Amino acid sequence: MIVVENLIKSYNATRVLHGVDHSQKRGEAVVLIGPSGCGKSTFLRCLNQLELADAGRITIGDVTITGGGAPRSAEERARQQRLRLRAGMVFQSFNLFPHLTVLRNITEAPTVVKKIPRQEAEAAARALLAKIGLEHKAGAYPAQLSGGQQQRVAIARALAMEPEVMLFDEPTSALDPELRDEVLRVMRQLAEEGMTMIVVTHEMQFARDMADTILFFEGGRVLESGSPEQIFTAPAHERTRDFLKRAIMR
Amino acid sequence: MSKPARWTRGHHWVFLVLVLLLASRPRLGFCADQLQTIQARGELLWGADAEGGAPYVYPDPQKPEQMTGFECDLAAALAAKLGVKPRMVQNQWDQLLPALDRGNFDIILNGLEITADNQQHAAMSRPYYVYAQQIVTRKDFAGPTNLDGLKGKTVGVLASSAAQRLLQNAGGIEVKSYPGNVESFLDLKAGRIDIAMLDLPIALFYAKPDPALKFSGGPFAPGYYGIGVRKEDATLLAAINQALGQLIRDGALERIYRQHGLWDDRQAMLASYKPETVTQRKSISTLREWPKYLPLLLRGAVTTVTLSVLGMMLAVAAGLAVALARLYGPLPLRWMAQAYVEVVRGTPLLIQLFLIYYGLPQIGLRLNAFLAGVLGLGLNYAANEAENYRAGIQSIPKGQTEAALALGMSGPQVLRRVVLPQALRVVIPPVTNDFIAMFKDSSIVSVITMVELTKVYGELATSTYDYIGLGLMTAGIYFALSYPASLFANWLERSRSYDRR
Repeated sequence: MIVVENLIKSYNATRVLHGVDHSQKRGEAVVLIGPSGCGKSTFLRCLNQLELADAGRITIGDVTITGGGAPRSAEERARQQRLRLRAGMVFQSFNLFPHLTVLRNITEAPTVVKKIPRQEAEAAARALLAKIGLEHKAGAYPAQLSGGQQQRVAIARALAMEPEVMLFDEPTSALDPELRDEVLRVMRQLAEEGMTMIVVTHEMQFARDMADTILFFEGGRVLESGSPEQIFTAPAHERTRDFLKRAIMR
Repeated sequence: MSKPARWTRGHHWVFLVLVLLLASRPRLGFCADQLQTIQARGELLWGADAEGGAPYVYPDPQKPEQMTGFECDLAAALAAKLGVKPRMVQNQWDQLLPALDRGNFDIILNGLEITADNQQHAAMSRPYYVYAQQIVTRKDFAGPTNLDGLKGKTVGVLASSAAQRLLQNAGGIEVKSYPGNVESFLDLKAGRIDIAMLDLPIALFYAKPDPALKFSGGPFAPGYYGIGVRKEDATLLAAINQALGQLIRDGALERIYRQHGLWDDRQAMLASYKPETVTQRKSISTLREWPKYLPLLLRGAVTTVTLSVLGMMLAVAAGLAVALARLYGPLPLRWMAQAYVEVVRGTPLLIQLFLIYYGLPQIGLRLNAFLAGVLGLGLNYAANEAENYRAGIQSIPKGQTEAALALGMSGPQVLRRVVLPQALRVVIPPVTNDFIAMFKDSSIVSVITMVELTKVYGELATSTYDYIGLGLMTAGIYFALSYPASLFANWLERSRSYDRR
């Protein structure tokens, strides 16, 4: 489903990804953990091309992008867009469109990008809103919602494009503790439904409960990976142990 | 003493403004005799307009820091007779009379015609020159040769000149008035008008040597130029009349005119001039007679509104194009957009208008005054709007673009669906400010013969002399139009605020 080979990324002189490899099956939920600045988010953002890698190969479903840099031809641009359509992204800061209602936030991309008729897109959007328990907020503007509600809408917005993979970049970090659960509940439900996901998070309990695989990132590399059992009870590396001790103490 | 009593009835505030104006005006020697003041000062201050002022008074082409012209020589001769030195005071020609009244200079010596109108506002000396009207056309144009032939035609004249009054009184002639001597000839050559009518000295200097232009028929409708003096300065007027008489008798005046190629047989009339008695009309209060003046001003306001609305539409559209080119265009386009913004913002609107209206015809692109005005205002403000848009677009958080890209939108889709709709709301206040500013700035297009609100005010004020009443009416119209615009902008901004709970 997802194969990443030798992904390399630098900002000016600083190398942030030192040749990351990763492969993931359909329906697998992967959680990335690790200290701040270790390259987790950059890795995630490379997957849907918000950051352009310098070298390496990314495959999601049937789309493969090799090498780095900005797309140079129309064909490369089309391939980049197809890769993006395979992956839905949820951001730490929600990034809902403030000038559009909740419903329009969800229907905008399907109607504009996929040319789905508005009525059809709205029916699908209402079904998604029902799923996240916000059907009564269809006409509201993002500023009228709580942070937890906004993030749930952002998840629905990404799902409306019917991606094969969902990427979550610290989806609960900007939320007050009492609002995190409603977002985590939606994510858990998605995992149970068999959605392929990659989640960057500091929520250790959540990682332990729902991840199929955990990757521990440090210094732009995957230091170790394994099942939650393995990582949480018997980490192979000293650094992993230190990190988990500090993360759980918090 | 009945006049102040009339004023105070229901006109307290007008009276107050008037008193303040009178109290603050810097009149030289208000009580003392003006001739003594001049002689004590050692200088005769004479008001004239040197801009396009040949052959009367104009910067010497060989020594541009020095003035020349037959009136310059006359002023020198006159000052010598009074035992003082002459000093010219530059003043826009159609505002010479009010400036004399304000006390900016002692006399007007600048082709001021001895007419009943002018004598309402100033005392006129005996004439120093006999002028006549001359019709000028393009060389290839078979135009009318006399006043009757001008019926139904459009004729360019100097604003507030004898020619303008003559044509307006004749009726049935469309008069296009220009702020200076040169502009009507420029428009004649550009083909915007076919006929110009000007005082003979102007025509002799500018049109005679121009191979593209010709005199159509001979000079007609002679009249006198005289020196304007404030009415209370009777001794000064007497001294000037005496000096002029001597200059005429001893042939000094003839020598000056021959030197400038302006002497003709008509000048013999100078020696035998007998002044006509002029009856004083009572002053006009345009506020009292507002039904007569308000519609004229409102007609000017229609032009002002049309100009600024069209100009702003152009500015908003062109500004957006420039902003997008500057932010997203390929490198050379980005440079060009930036250069456009810097050059347009760094040069005066007045110069840009002159370039568009008088400059473009020389390279074969002839726009009428209205189009040139809309284009000038629009392209000038486009630079400001481009900067507004740029700031607006850059104020939208990067996360918005990323979210839209992650959803699969293309660059242009992100711009149109996500960034611009948000940026537009941010720019509503500055763009509205600019619209109101342009609404007021649009008065500048009067320099390219557009008759808009401020121009109508100027024309009416110089003919009625009621600067206060008309000024209040005109300011009232401007305010009545711009205030609703700013209310509308407030409403628009509020109705677009989606980020309030």
